[in-house]
Amino acid sequence: MRIVIAGAGEVGTHLAKMLSFEEQDIIVIDNDEKKLYNLDNYNLMTVRGSAVSLDVLKNVQVGMADIFIAVTPHETINVIACSMAKSMGCKKAVARIDNYEFMKPASKKFFASYGIDTLIYPEYLAAREVMTAMEHTWARSWFEMLNGELIVAGVKIRENARILGHKLKELSGLSSFMHINAIKRNREIIIPGGDDEILANDIIYVATTPRNVDDVVAACGKETHTAERVLIMGGNEIVKQLAMAIKDKYKVKILDSDLERCQKLADELPYCNIVYYEAGNNDVLEEEGVEDYDVFVAMGDSSESNILSCVMAKELGMRKTVAQVENLQFINEAESLNIGTIINKKLIASSTIFQMMIDADTDNAKCLALADAEVAELEVAAGAKVTKAKVKDLKLSRDMTIAGLVRNGEGQLVTGDTQLQAGDRVVIFCLSGAIHKIERMFG
Amino acid sequence: MHLLVSPRKYSQTINFPIVLRVVGWLLMIESVFMLAPLVVAIVYGEEWIVLDFSIAVVVTFLAGLFMNYRIKPKSKTMRKREGLLLTATVWVFFSIFGMIPFLLSGTVTGFTDGFFETMSGFTTTGASVIYNVEALPRGVLFWRSMMQWIGGMGIILFTLAVLPMLNYKGGVSLFNSEVTGITHERMRPRVSQTAKSLWMIYVVFTVVLASLLMLGPMDWYDAICHTMSTVSTGGFSTKNNGLHFWHDYYSDIVIMLFMLLCGINFTIIYNVVVRGKFSELKRSDTLKWYLFIVLFGAIIVFARISHMGFVDSWHFGAILAAFDTISAITSTGFATYDYEHEGQFIFFFLILLMFFGGMAGSTAGGAKIDRFVVLLKNVKNEMYKVVHSNAVTTVRLDGKSVPHMIVEKVLAFLSVYVVVMIVVAVVLTQFGMPAFDALFNSLSAISNIGFGYGEMTGGPDKFASLPSLCKWLLAFEMLVGRLEIFTVLALFTPSFWKKD
Repeated sequence: MRIVIAGAGEVGTHLAKMLSFEEQDIIVIDNDEKKLYNLDNYNLMTVRGSAVSLDVLKNVQVGMADIFIAVTPHETINVIACSMAKSMGCKKAVARIDNYEFMKPASKKFFASYGIDTLIYPEYLAAREVMTAMEHTWARSWFEMLNGELIVAGVKIRENARILGHKLKELSGLSSFMHINAIKRNREIIIPGGDDEILANDIIYVATTPRNVDDVVAACGKETHTAERVLIMGGNEIVKQLAMAIKDKYKVKILDSDLERCQKLADELPYCNIVYYEAGNNDVLEEEGVEDYDVFVAMGDSSESNILSCVMAKELGMRKTVAQVENLQFINEAESLNIGTIINKKLIASSTIFQMMIDADTDNAKCLALADAEVAELEVAAGAKVTKAKVKDLKLSRDMTIAGLVRNGEGQLVTGDTQLQAGDRVVIFCLSGAIHKIERMFG
Repeated sequence: MHLLVSPRKYSQTINFPIVLRVVGWLLMIESVFMLAPLVVAIVYGEEWIVLDFSIAVVVTFLAGLFMNYRIKPKSKTMRKREGLLLTATVWVFFSIFGMIPFLLSGTVTGFTDGFFETMSGFTTTGASVIYNVEALPRGVLFWRSMMQWIGGMGIILFTLAVLPMLNYKGGVSLFNSEVTGITHERMRPRVSQTAKSLWMIYVVFTVVLASLLMLGPMDWYDAICHTMSTVSTGGFSTKNNGLHFWHDYYSDIVIMLFMLLCGINFTIIYNVVVRGKFSELKRSDTLKWYLFIVLFGAIIVFARISHMGFVDSWHFGAILAAFDTISAITSTGFATYDYEHEGQFIFFFLILLMFFGGMAGSTAGGAKIDRFVVLLKNVKNEMYKVVHSNAVTTVRLDGKSVPHMIVEKVLAFLSVYVVVMIVVAVVLTQFGMPAFDALFNSLSAISNIGFGYGEMTGGPDKFASLPSLCKWLLAFEMLVGRLEIFTVLALFTPSFWKKD
């Protein structure tokens, strides 16, 4: 698939690297030679120039592109670039925006008339992810797939878990309500086989159906509790979106070390408590009564201090912590430091693109990205390879597994004896670098 | 599948097994290439070398197979160090195995001469230790030309184009370390596609030139051999007198045009021919410089020839001047006329052209015109700053500003280039070579040209009578030049081997 990415900022660079890793044809456009130079060692092509230059777009043969992604820092440029690319013949155009108004369903037609198929608003999507995390405090990550018929959850295993120390083949009693897709241990994630054992401090990714969630919680030695009060550190765009969305359900307090920003937040979010603290005041969490809150969300500008304040909050007795970690290389560390949920804008943006890659024609596909794996859902096409045999005889490559499926409107887990049929909607858990194989198997 | 932390995955220890394993793969490819001269030998009924080539093919293939199957790397990670090491050593391995037919058939005597000849072939230098090539079997000569053809576009590049195995992230650093030029432009999104396009252009040139030459006085064998040494800008011939043998304007002009073409950046050729973007021709400063220098050089040489009056007719003089200028600037090194009797001026003048050579991204050698243009423009800026000390300037190439970082790299490259050239020349004088000859031969090696000059290398013996140490040194210099210096020299820095 030929994909043109305009803008080699953080999101653009991440997308380029990852899609190149997925063996796609990638061309990156940016004005800044230095940014492009950083991509020199990746298997892709870079072109220097403006994203809204007809010459540049012609030069990269945007008319032959399958997806055009505009992720420059400027919303207006993104919109115009997409519009130009579309009129020159590219199949799909994606623009990154930073305006909530554009996400409203009413705007969709307007943007469609400009040739923009999909809008990415990473801050908005991130806020949604934080909300999900607050609703399911026992899980590291929580994906509702197939319209909520199937849940994929990441769970950290502790000493009290019932399944601890067992090999997967000994856990066949669980297979009626949960399916372990992947195990993450010491920076490595694998799709486990029957001989793999579950150890303490593993993060396991399980698929289950909504009515069995409680069984999973019990098996993993967790308990659910409802959060009511949220303490947020940092006042960025995500926090604004988040506060607006949760104002009716939660009591929110926002801490920020920038006085001007505090004032702005106070103007815009009358239903939240805004507290200013001086940078370097380490006691602020205690002073603000951290123990009275159920969830702590660290959304500051630096990944490091987000991680550290979450660790601190945890020590002060916080049950659930959420940290924004923009440095991808810190995510593994943050996970091992017991931070409840990690938010990363780049991963969120990349899921949208993966979604289009799996299924370029319809809006049916869905894809969610973890740091080193993806969860994708799509429909099994008629005559696809996977319909030819039972799942255990399929010889799926080792980097993917089928988590579950929906047939006749009902979600069910997949076992070795399941036979997939055309028209089934399936959820696939696959490790990074394998997503391009999906279409070959299921399409 | 069990959860295991793969051993030493995050270590800076150089992963030798993976490097050797890939080298094994590449040697198997080399053995396939060797089948071509074997076929030539069979066709011409040269039974006595059929066996030699068969042995070479089998030995090379088995060695490759052995390295591939017996070496089991614990981890498959290949980073910068492994990439540089692989690119540099692969040329050495190719030369060592490539000389087997030469040694077995008695074409050259001794390891030193064999290595010099093959390295000179693969790096498209074209310097030779063989005095009487006409006495050699055709299979051997075919292999000599073929080595240049393989090396012209690049061993690694060929592998990237045809085999998927290097086509992962590590392959990119291999690409960057083998392709010449300042920025390693890619014309298509994936490295393997770029490599395919480059090889496609190369093969098309080869086919067209060979067909054109066959229309002239050459037979198919001579046509193909000369084609391979022309498009790779190598310079090996099948005749002792080179192209003189045929005395044919048609062949000379066709070869001259293709040398000129192969000194142009292949990316430009691709954009113009395949994508029909003629604006590229106008946009490229370096192309203008290249053509201008060729023209200017040819005029000077022509003026000198006419002035000295040592050719009979003006059109012969014109062709001679143009041919030799192009032959020098593209680093081909086909010699037509022996200027040595006529004084040093023309040789000395050609040195200037040879130093910078052809365009980056072509098969030509030298320090590359692109760097010359950057240097020149940078000097111009510095001159301007002498008067306007606060001026903010930028170096522009092809209408785009070149970042300071890259200008610095170019300057560093050129300095090291000159230093290597002079150091080798100094060593050569130690063996009794006159200063100018030493400098010329050293430049000839590092720029992959292959001309010899002076008593020790310019005579009928060519490079054969040089002391062994000089041959090794020059062979090393050829490799340094072909891989554009840093790839090879980095291996000789302590920081390459140290964990830091």
